[in-house]
Amino acid sequence: MASISVPRQGSMKSPSRFQIWRHKSYPVWLLMPTLLLLLLVQVYPTLYTFNLSLNKLKGGKLSFVGFNNFARLFASTDFVSSLSNTAVFWFYYMALTVVLGMIVALLLNKRTRFTAVYTVIIFVPWILSDVVSATMWRWMFEQSYGIVQVLLNPLLNNVSILSDDTGAMAVVILASVWRTLAFTSLLFLGALQTVPNEVKEAASLDGASSWQSFWQVIIPIVRPTLLVTILLTSIRAVNALGLILATTNGGPGSATTTASVLLYREAFQYGDFGVAAALAVILFLFNLGLTLVYFRLVKVD
Amino acid sequence: MITQKARKTIDRALTNLILIFISFLMIYPVAYALMTSFKTQGAVVTLPPSFFPKTWSLVGYEAVFHSDMFRVYLPNTAINAVLSSLLTVPLAGLAGYAFSRYKFRGSKALQLLILGLMMIPGLTNLVALYRIGSELKILSTHMIMVLVYIGGGLPFTLWIIKAFFDAIPKEMEEAALIDGCSPLQALRYVVVPLALPGLFAGFLMMMVDTWNEFLAAVVLLSANSARTATVGLYDFQSAFEIAYNVLCAACIIIMLPIVITFILGRKTFFQAMLEGALKG
Repeated sequence: MASISVPRQGSMKSPSRFQIWRHKSYPVWLLMPTLLLLLLVQVYPTLYTFNLSLNKLKGGKLSFVGFNNFARLFASTDFVSSLSNTAVFWFYYMALTVVLGMIVALLLNKRTRFTAVYTVIIFVPWILSDVVSATMWRWMFEQSYGIVQVLLNPLLNNVSILSDDTGAMAVVILASVWRTLAFTSLLFLGALQTVPNEVKEAASLDGASSWQSFWQVIIPIVRPTLLVTILLTSIRAVNALGLILATTNGGPGSATTTASVLLYREAFQYGDFGVAAALAVILFLFNLGLTLVYFRLVKVD
Repeated sequence: MITQKARKTIDRALTNLILIFISFLMIYPVAYALMTSFKTQGAVVTLPPSFFPKTWSLVGYEAVFHSDMFRVYLPNTAINAVLSSLLTVPLAGLAGYAFSRYKFRGSKALQLLILGLMMIPGLTNLVALYRIGSELKILSTHMIMVLVYIGGGLPFTLWIIKAFFDAIPKEMEEAALIDGCSPLQALRYVVVPLALPGLFAGFLMMMVDTWNEFLAAVVLLSANSARTATVGLYDFQSAFEIAYNVLCAACIIIMLPIVITFILGRKTFFQAMLEGALKG
């Protein structure tokens, strides 16, 4: 039996093996609770989704069906139309957010006496809940008494905007842009503030118009942020769900059923968990791909 | 020939004009909901619609006060939001400290994983969380919501707090360690006080996100007694079909705490958002 060794002289100065171990294991203990929680709430559900996508769920029991769920998903017309809805939503949402976000950032960057006030006002939609936002927009476009609907009635021959396929899509796109514009502006504003004043002054001494200096001086400097923003906005667009669900519930018909809305509907309205899981796997892989591109852009090593 | 000064004045006036217009568009839906919340039921269904109420009325708010929104949903939201925010900040703080101060094998890989979890939206996990929750019979409980919110919020909170830790010079705690503090004591007495704005930012962001959260709540909470305000509001839409004065009053009540928090802590918010979004 090893007995407790008598401490040798000088052991107080050179750290014992236990002290070294304790020091080295410190980060492990600090990280442990967080890592366990992430494993439980994020990693395990993802693995569960992958497993579910290859199984059929009946009476609470799983039975292996291979890629049958994927086959059923690909064969459904709902899936095809959800992809084209996603593409439409993504394109307009992304283009409007980036262009308008840049315009707002350029204006805020000019720093007037009221810049702080404008910033706070523009940020209000960003801190609202999806359902609160959706309620406000549904009210403005309510078919009989909605203030915007009534205003547009003469132009639209009294067509109810939210009951119209294109109209409903336009409303969810505009509501989504409205809700996230401030964040995009803030990203651009951060980048614009890195443009040195001397650069701008040099451009204006050269006689460059503000249009020219925007394209030739400012855009190259904010280009990395622009790419990152396009990417972040794209991830947001492909995964947009709460606001669409609460505004149109994917309707009328399936006019605003994007892939993420279809995922929700398959699981929680039609009860087809296998197909929903298959769609979740596809979306997850897509998100993972975009995230890896993001890592390349921001040069995480 | 326009002088330099005149051009500057015109430029500034134009900037203000456009920004006023944009601000108007951005705040209009909120302002209109605020006005509607003070209308009578009759005024809501009057044509043509008017922006301001003709007579100011509190019937919308009274209806909300006497509904489950006030008795059940808002308390549930408050419990879930406060519990998950209070628990997330210390967990994220410890983990952020480990990443900020210790070099160890796998540190970079773990940080990358956590950043990945932050980037990848949670909706693809909803189906699995619902299934797991129903297998464990914990659907419609505070526990599942708090767990899901902590798990969902940890990566982002950790990232914000770590950025604040990184900005604190290492020499501060090295001095404390030499004086005989344990690393945890150094964290408690030296780093935490200095990083307080960061911890506060993490807490605020968590509060806003969990207070507003809708998707996980609508999927995981089916019992009326467990529903949160956003789910309750979603339900209100069918129950109060055209009673938009009641719906708008509910919207205002739900958003008010968050808007006030935001206005008071806006500098912290902006800093945290930039940290969270751009630090690679």
